[in-house]
Amino acid sequence: MTAEEILGQIQQRFGDAISAAEVKGPEVRATVKPEVAWEACRFLRDAGFEYLNCLSGVDWTTHLEVVYDLSSLQHPLKAHLRVPVGREAPMIRTVTDIWSAANWHERECYDLFGVRFDGHPDHRRILLPEDWVGYPLRKDYADERMVPYTEYGLEEKLPRAEGEKPAVKAAPRPAPAKPAAPSPEAPKPS
Amino acid sequence: MMAFADLVQRLYALTTSWGIPYVVFALVVMTIQVGVVIAYIAVAAMFLIWWERKVSAHIQVRFGPMRVGGWHGWAQSIADGVKLLLKEDIIPAGADRVVFVLAPMVVFAASLAAYVTIPWGPGLIVRDLNIGILYMVSISSLAVVGIIMAGWSSNNKYSVLGAIRSAAQAVSYEVPMVVALLGPVMLAGTMSMGKLVEAQAQGSWLGILPGWFVFPQLLGFLIYFTCALAECNRLPFDIPEAESELVAGFHVEYSGMRFAIFFLAEYANMFVVSAIATTLFLGGWSGWWVRLPGLSPELSQGLFGLAWFQGKCYFLIFVMMWLRWTLARIRVDQLMDFSWKILLPLSFANLVITGWVLVAGRQARLVALGILLLLGLGFGLAVRGRGRAAAGVVRG
Amino acid sequence: MNETHTPIPVGTTVVVERTDETMEEMYVNMGPQHPSTHGVLRLMLKLDGEYITDCVPYVGYLHRCHEKIGENRNYTQVIPYTDRLDYLASMSMNFGYVQAVERLMGLAVPPRAEYMRVILAELQRIASHLIWLGTFGLDLGNFTIFIYCFREREMVLDLFEAVSGQRLNYSFYRIGGMAMDFPDGWVENCRGFLEWFKPRLPEYDALMTDNILFRKRVEGVGILPTRTAVEYAASGPVLRGSGVAWDLRRNDPYSVYDRFEFDVPAYDSCDVWARYLVRRQEMAQSVRIVEQALAQLPAGEIQAKVPKTIKPPAGQVYARTESPRGELGFYLVSDGSPKPYRYKVRSPAFVNLSALPEMLKGCLVADCVAVLGSVDIVLGEVDR
Repeated sequence: MTAEEILGQIQQRFGDAISAAEVKGPEVRATVKPEVAWEACRFLRDAGFEYLNCLSGVDWTTHLEVVYDLSSLQHPLKAHLRVPVGREAPMIRTVTDIWSAANWHERECYDLFGVRFDGHPDHRRILLPEDWVGYPLRKDYADERMVPYTEYGLEEKLPRAEGEKPAVKAAPRPAPAKPAAPSPEAPKPS
Repeated sequence: MMAFADLVQRLYALTTSWGIPYVVFALVVMTIQVGVVIAYIAVAAMFLIWWERKVSAHIQVRFGPMRVGGWHGWAQSIADGVKLLLKEDIIPAGADRVVFVLAPMVVFAASLAAYVTIPWGPGLIVRDLNIGILYMVSISSLAVVGIIMAGWSSNNKYSVLGAIRSAAQAVSYEVPMVVALLGPVMLAGTMSMGKLVEAQAQGSWLGILPGWFVFPQLLGFLIYFTCALAECNRLPFDIPEAESELVAGFHVEYSGMRFAIFFLAEYANMFVVSAIATTLFLGGWSGWWVRLPGLSPELSQGLFGLAWFQGKCYFLIFVMMWLRWTLARIRVDQLMDFSWKILLPLSFANLVITGWVLVAGRQARLVALGILLLLGLGFGLAVRGRGRAAAGVVRG
Repeated sequence: MNETHTPIPVGTTVVVERTDETMEEMYVNMGPQHPSTHGVLRLMLKLDGEYITDCVPYVGYLHRCHEKIGENRNYTQVIPYTDRLDYLASMSMNFGYVQAVERLMGLAVPPRAEYMRVILAELQRIASHLIWLGTFGLDLGNFTIFIYCFREREMVLDLFEAVSGQRLNYSFYRIGGMAMDFPDGWVENCRGFLEWFKPRLPEYDALMTDNILFRKRVEGVGILPTRTAVEYAASGPVLRGSGVAWDLRRNDPYSVYDRFEFDVPAYDSCDVWARYLVRRQEMAQSVRIVEQALAQLPAGEIQAKVPKTIKPPAGQVYARTESPRGELGFYLVSDGSPKPYRYKVRSPAFVNLSALPEMLKGCLVADCVAVLGSVDIVLGEVDR
């Protein structure tokens, strides 16, 4: 099947549950509603995309999104499926029964974004400790232990206490000298 | 050496003339003998520890100890010994103190007691028992008791598991070991260590080879050497001491001098098994000798005998070290398999064929020798690697 | 699988219950500090006597919020962070990342830079497999192979130090090319290393591949059936050791890999032995690729013209490369700003490790170490 055919079948089957669909090179891209996400995954798996490359979450500040990147070991097509979910109580059905690889990916998505996967066999955090509060990869995650990153050369902008002098700006580095001799060779194996 | 026995006789006569009873004299002599043996073990173990580090280093393309004491770090063992003596003596809470303290002593004593019948040279044995080899094997197997004591008294789940595995390994490999040792015993007709060497010192095979028993008993020698590796907990049979496996080993809770005694006992044991192999298969102290100027023939033969014995023993120990740093570890179920299903039947076959050769006529002897050599070759080939085509195809 | 499904109400704490416990089963904890887990990994093994009935890996001990950091740095500043993902294959990590950004930007890389990338990535594959081989042998009791492999790896590290100034975390790739060119004499040194290395592979074979003790420890152990491997999205030597001849350098070529002739080893027996052979053969194939690349190395620029601040157009990309451990994927979302909007690393070791419980079914405890070694994980990229 070609990418266009797959796209056509998706559009035919899911109709209004799709918000965006296109073909870009060998990749089929579609954005589907969470209610039909599981069926869409199942359909794609049956269409030959038996390899789940990546399952990740994205935080668009208005909503969260679960992204599935699929491919096949038999044909050169790829699939890219996006499922927007709400920020409050995000929930989507698990796809571990379609691809076992989704198990740990979904745990990570839950761990870092807070998306719940309905029916997941082992629904707990994977990277962070079990008692962690909050979902760090969300854009509105705040933790008093986080230190703001300051670009090099902007030391005067660093937070400082009252009366403390601003940090000294580092002296500019001298231009590197032109190499006159040939570069040192790696030692020959003895 | 005849001169040595003569000396003892004269001393005895002297002390009796002073009125000292025989018992005292005998005790003093025995104490001196034990002292000499322990001194030898201590020095030999220190040398072996240093040597092991050098051998392993050179196999691994590095140098090993180079600094302590100057020339190639020869004083490294002394430094290690001093360090271990100075360490704090830790006995784990909840451990059975008496058993914990006794365990290393039992292991060391078992190895030490086997030195009684080692023939160092012609006439140089502490006591030439006429059940020599039987005594050596049975006494050194008492070390298993010490290992179980160590594992159990440490109050540690993994120690117990390690100790039981070690005991199972030791016991399993003793059976083919002893059966393999019966071959030379049958050939010599005696169990006495001194007489075993004398039986090999005369005569030769086919006129060119020395009269050592390794030539007709090649299979027995290989079986014995493999079992000896397992008795000493050396790789490839070092599961009881394996650092990178799940179970840490029976001496995990020991530190300082107690750990040093286990270590010493292991090297002493290595020397004992090499000595047994040398005596029974490689002709013991027998070898080429020439009368040195200014010394009596007995003395010359004695000195050369001492040198030959040490050389053969240390060569076998070197082979043990070589194997340790070249091979991988065998799994515990494969170890049991190997002992009971392969080594034991082979050793029985060796025994039967040896007996047949001894009582049968000339033609039967040749046939039997042929079978033995074939078995030996087969065993050697089986433990070599096979080709690599087992798994599948390389797809381009 | 049941089609009708009652959703679990939000806010319920989902508890995993183990309802099939019997009195004979014992839990043994391996790690996180253990000489053979290759990093801070914790494995809970459920044992029935000596046999493993289940294994629960606990990861996250080395989690360093890599993806969150990536959202707060600009695209070039992320490169040193990618080094620290799989610190034993830094060049490959760099390669995967700059590939993804270039694909997002639609940037063409000069040919000399492409060849340099391939040469360094393949040398890195050799170095990574050497560490794997050394530590794998060490776990199984063979101490000597460890030193031998590190001797060769030191030479590769010397080559890398001559090129980038670093022995381990190179940060040498740049978006659009490379940071610097090869120094004078580097190509000859590289060829000298390859000549030295080619006879070393039979040496390793003598110690490991042809050794019956080693063979008995790895044959028939840690079976991962082909279907299971595909379902768990295993990649790299784990997938190729399960019979699927899938290599991204061949099946989805990137950079200039389609110009080289090399074999993709794959074996059918799906056990530790097959994975071992795959990596062993891959070392030989990498040597071939480096030789061809050195012969074809063109002169020219090493860096394309890129703006000082890299601002890819808004969009998303998932770009994958073949690192020594498998398929390394970078999922990048750009909103037109100098910093990534979403930066996700699909790490091969993370996904391969999730298949470990399947591999350990029916194994003995003593095999656990061998199977874990055959997966070849680096906790830096598992936990990010």
